[in-house]
Amino acid sequence: MEKKTRVLLFKPGLDGHWRGIMTVSKALSEAGMETIFFGFKTVEGVVEAAIQEDVDVIGFSVHSGAHLEWARELVRELDEKGVRGDFLLLIGGVFPEQDHAELMEIGIDGVFGPGTVTADIVKFIEENLKRRVSG
Amino acid sequence: MAEMEEIRRGLEEWREAKKEWPERREEFRTDAGIPVKDLYTPLDTEGIDYLRDIGFPGQPPYTRGVYPTMYRGRYWTIRMFSGHGTPEETNDRWRMLYEEGETGFSAAVDSLTFSGVDPDQEVHGAAHEVGKEGVPLYSIRGVEALVEDLPIDRMSVALVVEPMTSAAVTSMYFNVAKERGLRKEQLAGTTQNDILTMTIGYIPWGSLRPADLLKLACDLIEYCTAMKEAPRWNPINFTTYNYREGGIDAVQEIGMGLANAVAHIEELLRRGWKIDDFVHRLAFHLSAHRDFFEEIAKYRAARKLWYRLMKERYKPENPEAYRFRFHVQTAGCSLTAQQPMVNIIRTAYQALEAVLGGTQSLHTNSYDEAICLPCEESVRLAVRTQELIQEETGVANVVDPLAGSYYVEALTRELEERIWDYFLRIEEMGGVVEALNTGWLFNEMSKAFNKRRRDQESGEERIIGVNCYVMEGEEPTPPFRTNPRAAEIEKERLRALRAERDDRRVAALLDQLRGVCERRENVLPVVSELTAAGATLGEITGVYREVWGIWQLPFVA
Repeated sequence: MEKKTRVLLFKPGLDGHWRGIMTVSKALSEAGMETIFFGFKTVEGVVEAAIQEDVDVIGFSVHSGAHLEWARELVRELDEKGVRGDFLLLIGGVFPEQDHAELMEIGIDGVFGPGTVTADIVKFIEENLKRRVSG
Repeated sequence: MAEMEEIRRGLEEWREAKKEWPERREEFRTDAGIPVKDLYTPLDTEGIDYLRDIGFPGQPPYTRGVYPTMYRGRYWTIRMFSGHGTPEETNDRWRMLYEEGETGFSAAVDSLTFSGVDPDQEVHGAAHEVGKEGVPLYSIRGVEALVEDLPIDRMSVALVVEPMTSAAVTSMYFNVAKERGLRKEQLAGTTQNDILTMTIGYIPWGSLRPADLLKLACDLIEYCTAMKEAPRWNPINFTTYNYREGGIDAVQEIGMGLANAVAHIEELLRRGWKIDDFVHRLAFHLSAHRDFFEEIAKYRAARKLWYRLMKERYKPENPEAYRFRFHVQTAGCSLTAQQPMVNIIRTAYQALEAVLGGTQSLHTNSYDEAICLPCEESVRLAVRTQELIQEETGVANVVDPLAGSYYVEALTRELEERIWDYFLRIEEMGGVVEALNTGWLFNEMSKAFNKRRRDQESGEERIIGVNCYVMEGEEPTPPFRTNPRAAEIEKERLRALRAERDDRRVAALLDQLRGVCERRENVLPVVSELTAAGATLGEITGVYREVWGIWQLPFVA
């Protein structure tokens, strides 16, 4: 049997807008992925859990305006642990389009701003994981 | 009645005759799923008795408004929800809004203030979020800077904080007023202080158990109103707006709001107060959503239901207690990042709903809010939206102009019945605290936002710019950025405060607070002394967390 794609979702920091991440979590499970919703956790804890749980994707949601800071912190932590290449990294939430390029430069693979259709996230994960396996 | 028979016959004939005229779709429904007929006639208002069910403005059952003259006497308060960066920067924005015609203020706080966390506390990543989502108010120094040069004796201020920090932030405000020689009795304003906001609307870091939040919320109501410490202050604002933003409908919004109000009323009665000691100061903050007529009918139904709840269950003597007073905010979740200027149009219609529904105060969202916090230009336009309704449309010149509309009256009655049923369901479950403990309310939220996602993605819910009339290659709106140095500035503010305050006095008072929390006495007297002595928000909420523990949320995906 083919292994299901495993996705770890979390919300960094103190920002309590939880609807977006929960909606994405539900949509990804409906699409046949295994999602682990990790709640409001530290970046350090998330990276450890991602390694232990052997997930393919780490996704996080930011509405507080601190998206760049959180993206930098997550990537730094992954680098320190030497596991950055093991995961596909996604960010969603409310932030300006002008910041998309910078988020990608920081090292986030998929950036999903307001108005995203969840099917696009599913497609992005499927295509990029396939590319990794074959590439 | 013979006339009704004639209408019934006429309607059947009309329906027969129009069969050759196809309609856009098979069925039409309101946002809350109420079937919408093709036509409303006197048949739909049969059984509605004008004097009993509608009545006159300012008179029971208050369907037509809580005051006799409504906007012919005085316009609603233009109360914009705003805050960003530092208290000084927010003060600049507030003064700008004051000059532009804003008549009341509402402080949007950042997520640290919401959660009761200091920027220099060992909470991971706290500093990233200082001033990003609102104004940082971590100590009395922040509140002093926020209201500097503003006439707080002549204006009303809403402090949008929740039970976790309501005692601390409200007492900071009261203490600042005292420093200026004002008495608490003179101050007008509101503390949001809603337990559902913190548990189902927005889930803050390290929240307390629902019963502890309810205790804190009731402490403020007791202190301000029942104990008459700040009799002009609204010590709570049941913020159904925040739950609605999660995706629930108009029926659930008001049903949850009423159930929440009842939980607070019962707690205060349990403490030995009489209904007349506090109920006249309970206020609401509702949403103005997409469905124009349903929203107007919702405000009318909510007023009737509050009257019914008071009359049947609590029987207060003070006539003020029967008036359902509310603030409205246009629906943030209806705004789009795509074609953001369209948000101005959305907001204008929603503002009109609030005015036709008889609101006491109104916040109109700014067009860039689906992208970032509002810039000066967008917030000015949002204020102008309200001023335009006041000055140019003439709609405020007559009280409740839609009364008597067959559709609006029928919808008001339908909503009234559905909301009451929903409210009773929560009651039967043991009330909102129990519905939170069991995870039932989470499930309601979760079902609602997943349904909304499916409706949007299938195109069932049409959203301009997102799933219809999409524009390719749109230029992104320049985003407003908050002060990147806010965290440093706020940490420095706390360092300076800690250097000059009497640490031993603060420590002794924190010890007193521990005792108060253990005995479950009202926290306000000692918290007021604490904030005056320079204790910080994180120190005060730290005691709550230490004594009562943190809530494990019953999440359901």
